[in-house]
Order: sequence, then structure tokens, then C-alpha cells
Amino acid sequence: MKLDRRFLLRGTCQGALAVLGLPFLDCFLDGKGQALAATGRPLPTRFGTYFYGLGLTKQLWIPKTAGKDYEMSIQLKPLEPLRQKINVFSGLRVPLDDNPNFQHWSGAAAAATGISPTKISEFDSKTIDQQVADSISHGTRFKSVAAAAAGDPKQSYSSLGAANTLPAEASPLALYTRLFGPGFQDPSKGDWKPDPQVMIQQSVLSVVADDRKRVMQDLGAADRARMDQYFSSVRQAELQMAAELQRPEIQAKVTIPEAPAEMTCNNALPNLRKSAPLMAKLGALALATDQTRIFNFSVSEPGSQVFVPGDSLGYHQSTHEEPIDPVLGYQPRVAQYNVYMMEMFCAFLQEIDAIPEGDGTLLDHSLFFAFTDQSFPKIHAVDGLPILLAGGASGRMKTGHHVLGDGSPVSRVGLTVQKAMGVSLESWGKGTMETKSPFTELLV
Amino acid sequence: MRILVASVLSLTALASGAIAASPAMAAASSEVVSLRRLNQGEYRNSIADIFGPEIEVRGVFEPDRRVGGLQAASTAMLSITPAGFESFTKMADSIAVQVTAEKYRTKLPCVPKSAKAPDDACTAQVLNRYGMLLFRRALTQDELKSRVKLSNSQAKAAKDFYAGLRYGLASLIQSPDFLFRKEVAVSGDGKQYALEPFSRATRLSYLMWNTAPDDELLKAAQNGELNTAAGLGKQVDRLMSSPRLDVGMRAFFNDMLMLDTFDTISKDSLLYAKWGTVIANSAKEETLRTSVDLALHANGDMRDLMTTRKTFINRALAADYQLAFPFKGEWMPYEFDADSGRSGVLTQVSMLAMFSHPGRSSPTKRGVALMDIFLCEPTPAPPANVDFSVVNDTSGPLKTVRERLMAHATNSACASCHTHSDPIGLSLEGFDTIGGRRTTENGQKIDLAATIQGKSFVGAEGLGRYLHDNPKYTACIARKLQAYSKGENSEDVPASAVKIAYKAFADSGFRMRALLKGLVEAPDFFSAPPPVSETPTKTAANVTAQ
Repeated sequence: MKLDRRFLLRGTCQGALAVLGLPFLDCFLDGKGQALAATGRPLPTRFGTYFYGLGLTKQLWIPKTAGKDYEMSIQLKPLEPLRQKINVFSGLRVPLDDNPNFQHWSGAAAAATGISPTKISEFDSKTIDQQVADSISHGTRFKSVAAAAAGDPKQSYSSLGAANTLPAEASPLALYTRLFGPGFQDPSKGDWKPDPQVMIQQSVLSVVADDRKRVMQDLGAADRARMDQYFSSVRQAELQMAAELQRPEIQAKVTIPEAPAEMTCNNALPNLRKSAPLMAKLGALALATDQTRIFNFSVSEPGSQVFVPGDSLGYHQSTHEEPIDPVLGYQPRVAQYNVYMMEMFCAFLQEIDAIPEGDGTLLDHSLFFAFTDQSFPKIHAVDGLPILLAGGASGRMKTGHHVLGDGSPVSRVGLTVQKAMGVSLESWGKGTMETKSPFTELLV
Repeated sequence: MRILVASVLSLTALASGAIAASPAMAAASSEVVSLRRLNQGEYRNSIADIFGPEIEVRGVFEPDRRVGGLQAASTAMLSITPAGFESFTKMADSIAVQVTAEKYRTKLPCVPKSAKAPDDACTAQVLNRYGMLLFRRALTQDELKSRVKLSNSQAKAAKDFYAGLRYGLASLIQSPDFLFRKEVAVSGDGKQYALEPFSRATRLSYLMWNTAPDDELLKAAQNGELNTAAGLGKQVDRLMSSPRLDVGMRAFFNDMLMLDTFDTISKDSLLYAKWGTVIANSAKEETLRTSVDLALHANGDMRDLMTTRKTFINRALAADYQLAFPFKGEWMPYEFDADSGRSGVLTQVSMLAMFSHPGRSSPTKRGVALMDIFLCEPTPAPPANVDFSVVNDTSGPLKTVRERLMAHATNSACASCHTHSDPIGLSLEGFDTIGGRRTTENGQKIDLAATIQGKSFVGAEGLGRYLHDNPKYTACIARKLQAYSKGENSEDVPASAVKIAYKAFADSGFRMRALLKGLVEAPDFFSAPPPVSETPTKTAANVTAQ
């Protein structure tokens, strides 16, 4: 659709220009389509994580050639439609130093924190999305949002560190309600007014926060940390309300759909295929309307319990119990599950990519970090984790590459991601995984 | 304003006494022994008991975790994340809206002078009343003052007393003093620490009734009764003779038997078409009913939980068990036939289905879970770099799961743990992944023999008798109850900590009530270790210096 620029400059974007499905109405962008005309500030770059359990099959996913025009591999084939927006990393090591190899955990935790975990099911630091959130989420309604397609709020790999996992919204309806239920200020509504109720709720929070000093008395170190977390959650709610009192800067012209129906969310593949794209779409709308700049998504837990109805083993049991086919050299049923997971990743990204924004799409202004728990789950191996990045990070990340890790630590990807997201840091990770070398060839 | 609040406080005998007591408490050394995040059940029960069952609680709760076999232990470790607080703040406001709504107002302890203006005296009265119940102690002057002030300004702005009251109440319901159960221990001599009376009331109430302490228990805390053996005994007897003990023990069994596992399992709808949410929920309920009935209603021997053929079924379960269901009511008692092969909760749909794969049974999962639940013996995680292929190849010579599992025994890295947990699971192989009985697998008759720690038995009934007679099982119940009551990791509870309770349990012929009573009346139930000296212990001197 061609927009009349003079018309746009008059700032009348309503009525005739109600372009459905077009979020950042171009009338609010400058001539290059990369910044908001009103303030001259650039469009925000968004970040997200995508977790899928049990990795891929080495012989089938690693492309035979490296660089920009790499030869597409069998298991990455489902991503072909988006290959120009994706980077693939092979040959990354996950040195665990002196810590045990916690099965279905160490690899995932290492990828998300650059730290070999000392406990199962806990991250030894904030996860990468929260580190990025600290730098890019100021002023948004939600500092981050997590969603899990298989119906379990515990399937979240976004954490404030230690036991403070940020629970995931576990159904499309739950995700919708959090994002677009009460408190949502539709930025596309012309008659936007701050809700006085929000101000009152802020004063309630301030009464709660005022008890802090008294509550902290007599606490041991661990409980003090827990109460600190409680009060920073109160603070987060105050910031959320402050954001709700601001006129939304991003006049996204998306149509927020009706609330989705309740649906069965579990590990059965057909159900996942329904819930996952719906949740991806809701996440995309939340990013497009600047409700949040961080969207974390999981399609399974580590040690994925996904199953195809009729397969009495399921994904995880198959990885351990299916014999390696002597002719093929790999586990055929596992390989099929791997492909299902890549198909789902592609469907996820397509929802992000479907939203036009400025001179490109939402995906072009985002960066998604896809990670997993094992490289060869049959024996719980972690070296060689298949890691993918998607999105151009508003032009700061070159895409379309197969990058050879050459045995360097997986934390290099995390460092690269943060450089692309504009986080100011020199090194990332701990122990052998501490690194100062991002993949500079990808950074613009 | 200050004078007004003070005068209102003096009207509330309970509250004023506690406030008078608090400076004295500060003079003694005190430490926070534990801070336990209310779980969903505790929160809902507390709100229903404080405000009435008509108050709706709608919202999501952050998930708990399982530590040492119990979710209760994780409540002493977890905090509240931004997403969790977002939910709590909304729920608090929604509850406060309902409590200040027109139809509820007659239940409030006072009527304002005008419904269109602030009335600090009435506000303070309401907040003191509910504050006491929510915080499980009297509000301090500061806590009350800030909330009266908030209510006043909002009532003024809205020209509506109740609109103002709403926010004062909401601030209490989202306060950490409600959302966390705080246990404070005090010491007269700086060496021996014991819970102060209100913390005792809280611990007792959530253990026995799974809810906030009621007026009577708070009064017993207030007047010092809970610190005397006679006073404590009187309250324990009252709590135990109430039908609400069912609620408390249901929560304990739900946790100990890991029945929350149902929230996240799914079954293969092609292979097991009849499975669904209705059966899953019914299976959970069946096990809870069986446990509570045996423990409390029948005052039975807890060892019989392993062997009884008595249960409760509804229509959905009758279908799953392939029984004719006489439609006399929603739930009815049922006794399996002597030749049914069933044995206690071990063979209920719940245990068999929760610890299986979506499409097949899993002796390993069953064995690992049951060892942990009933014997307090967790199985270590399998070593890395193990090839499991032989276990799965059903087209090869190994037809049954048993044969395939036994192949593990040839691998020494596997053998140590599999010989530990598999026998239990193998004896349950007569039941499929949704609890249906079977005698063959892939055309081969299933062998149900098992040997564990030198004892041989056959099938679920053999397993039931083995556990029934195993003192580790009854010791495990005692240990889990102790850990549950204090929010501790059951693996860290030494046998000595439950010695008195266990003796009472055994002497009674393993009656649950005897265990409970023995536990809470043991002389050290309310004692606490002295604080770890990371910072100097707070004394009267440095409190005043601050």
C-alpha cells in the first residue's frame, strides 16, 4: 500500500488509513522507515529466546559448507524460507569445568548463561534474556514475557538466577490475558487517556514498598535475597504501571484479535502444532505494540516429552532407546522428531516475520536466540549444541551464515547476541566459557 | 490521627495486647527461622476462611518445585517473581473489591459514619480485624497508619468510604506478611531459640488445616497458652477433632504422593483413547479419598495403605478399571475382588499412570518414584554416556520390558541403580500405563517376580506386603510429615528429629493422628537452631542504636 507522505505528515493516521495487520504505521516513521518520526528515536530492537529440547542429529543438521552460501542440510531444510534471516552455529563446545554434566540441564544452562551450572534446574546467573532486558526494556509495560507451548508454566528458561525462574504463560488464553487483558492500552486507539485507576494502584504499591525496611529485619542472607526479589517484583509492577500511564509511543496499527478459546496444551505434537503458532502470534503482537521487548518461548522442556500419538516411546525415550540404524548411522525416529522441531521453529519465526514494520518486518528488528539441552541426547552429550540465531537486530547482525565454532565455547554466541543488542560488556561467561571474542564477522 | 488510631486499637483487645508485647520481643534476641511462600491451596483456603467462601479467587500462581520429595520444602526457598507479583497484586485488588462491595458490607466489623466520606476509626477497625487474620499477628502502628492514610485519601477523592477501604485492604493482601508465612524464633538467653507464639499458631494451623490460624488459635497465641504444654494440648486436640483436619491431611497426602504430577502428564490418545482430564482428576481424587479415609475416618493402620483393596470410585474410574458402576452417587466406596491383583494406592490409577510414559508403562519411573515416595530413598540420576538401545528393541529377542531392563544389569554403571529401583516397578508390570490390568506384553506372559534387598515377592500384592512390613516405609511417612510441617528438605531430617513422633506412631499401631499429635507435641517441635552468625545477633543494645 502506498501512503501519501504529505497526508501522513499531517498526522492523521486514522480512518481511511486503517491498514489492518500493519503495525508501526509508516506515518509515524521517518523517511527511511527506521525511526519514529515524532521523536527521531529508532525503532526498538527486540530480543527473544526459543527453547527446544533434545537438539538435532549431527549427521543431518550440520551444513557441509560454511559461510554465506552454505549448502542447506536435511534437518535445517524446514527453515529454508527464512534462511537469509538465520545464522547457524556448529562446532561449539560446552566445557563444564569441574561441575557434573547434569543431564538435560547443563547444556541448556550453559547456552543461556555462559556458565556451567552447579545445580540441576537452576541457572547460576540471570539468563541472557534478562541481561538483555536490563539494557533494552526501560519504559515497556512488561520487562519480559515467557510462554510455554506444552502447557506447563515450569517450562521457562528465563530466570533471574538461582531459584527465581520466571514462570511461563502456559496456554494461548493465559498469554493473551496477560498481554491484552486488563491493563492493556491499545496504542492504536485514537482516544487514548491514562487510566486513573492505575495511579491509585501505584499508591497501593508504594504503601507495600514502604514496609521494606521492617520486613528485612532479622532475616538471614538467603531470606534477605528472597525478600529483595519480592520488593524488586513490586518495583517492576510500579514500572509496569508507569508505562501504562504513558501514551504509547509506538502507534502500532495491529488488530488485537479476540481472546483465543481454551485448548488442550500438552506434549502431544498435534496439540503443540496448534498452540505454538498461536502463542507466537500473540508474542509478535506484544513485541509490535511495545508491550514488551523480550519474548521467551519454549516448545518443550529439556529432555523433551513431546510425542506423536501412537508412538509409545515418544521423543525423549526414543533418543535413549532407539538403536542407531546400522545403514543410516543415526536414529531414524529421533531424526524425524528433530525435523518436527525445526518445522515448529520455522512456524514460530514466520509469525514474527509476518508483521511488517518500517522498511522490513518485525523479525528484521528482532534477534531470537534458539538453544537446546543436548547435542547427542542418546548419551547426554553437550559439545556441539545446535544453536541458531534469527533476525537482523535492526541491521546490527549479518544473517544467512553457517558459522563454524571450531571448538570455541558456546558463550561466544551469547556475547555476540549482546553486542548486537547494544549491551555494553567486554566479556561474558565464567570459567573456560568466559570469552571476550564475539563472532565479529557477524556484527555490523 | 495518631490519637484516633491508638484509641481504636485499644478497643481491639487482641491487637492492643500484641502491640504492647512487641517492644518486649524486640528486646530479646530474635531470628526469622523460615519464610514460606503460600502455595495455591494455602492462599485459597486462607482467603476463604478470612473473608468467606463466597469470595472468588481468580488468578495464576507461580509453580512450586519438589525438594526432597516435597513441594512444601520449596516454599522456603522460592521468592515471588515479577510475573508472580503481577498476579498477586491483581488478586489482592479483586478480593478487596469483593469485600467492599455492597452485598458484603454487613459482614464488616463496623459501619462508617457516612458512606460518602472517610472514617478513619472504622477503617482502622476493619484493617485491624482482617490484618490480624492475614498477617497472623496484630498489625504494627506503622502498618496500620499508612493504610488508614491511603484509604482516607482515596475515600476523600472518590467521596466513597468503601472505595477507600478497598485499597487499604488490597495493600494488606499483597503484602509479604501475608504472602509469606514468617516464623520468628526468640531467645531469652541468646542460646535456646523457640518460635514465638504467633509463629507457633501459624505452623500448627497450616499443618493441620492448611489455612490461616483462626481467632481462637490466635487468642491462644496472644495469651501465652501455646507456650504451655496444657494450652498447646488443648489447641492441638481442638484442631484434630475438627473435620477440617481432612483438608490439612489432604494437602499433605497430595504433596507426599506427588499427585500434582497429574498437572503435567499426558497420555497417548491413540493408544489410550479413554484417558482424559476427567479420569486424571478422578484418579487423583480416588487416592486422596483413600488416604484420608484410612488415616482419619477409619483411624486405620497407615501400613494398610499399601495393601488395602478398599477404595472409592466414580463413573470415570469404573470405566478405567473396567468395573460396572452402580449409579448411586457421584462417588462410592468400592472394594476390589481378592483376585483383582490390586494392592492399596500402589495399584490405583494415579500411581500407575503418573509414573509411566504416555504410551507405555515404565518400571523404572514407577520404581524410582515409589522408592522416593514411600521409602524416602531417592535414586541418583543415570550416568552420562550410557547406551540404552538394547532396552527398546521390541523386534529383537527381548520381548518384555523385564527382559529389556534386565539387559541393563549387564552394564555395571547401570546395575547399581537399576537393581535399586527396578524390582518395585517390575512387580507392577501387570498394569499398563493408565492402570489397566494385563497378563501379557507383546505376546509373552509377564513375569511379576521381584527381589529387593534380599526379599523376594511376586506382583503388586507381594510389593504391597513388602512395603507394609518394611519399617522404612513408616519411618518415611514420619520424616516427610516433619519436613512438610517445617518446610525442610526431608533428606536432611535426621531420624533423631522424629524419634518421639515415630514412637507415638508405632505405639498406636501406625495411626496418623498419633503421629501428628506426637510430632507437634514433641518438646522440640517449636525449637530452632540459633542464627548463623554472619552478622552479630541483634540485641536490645544494637536495635536501639539503629
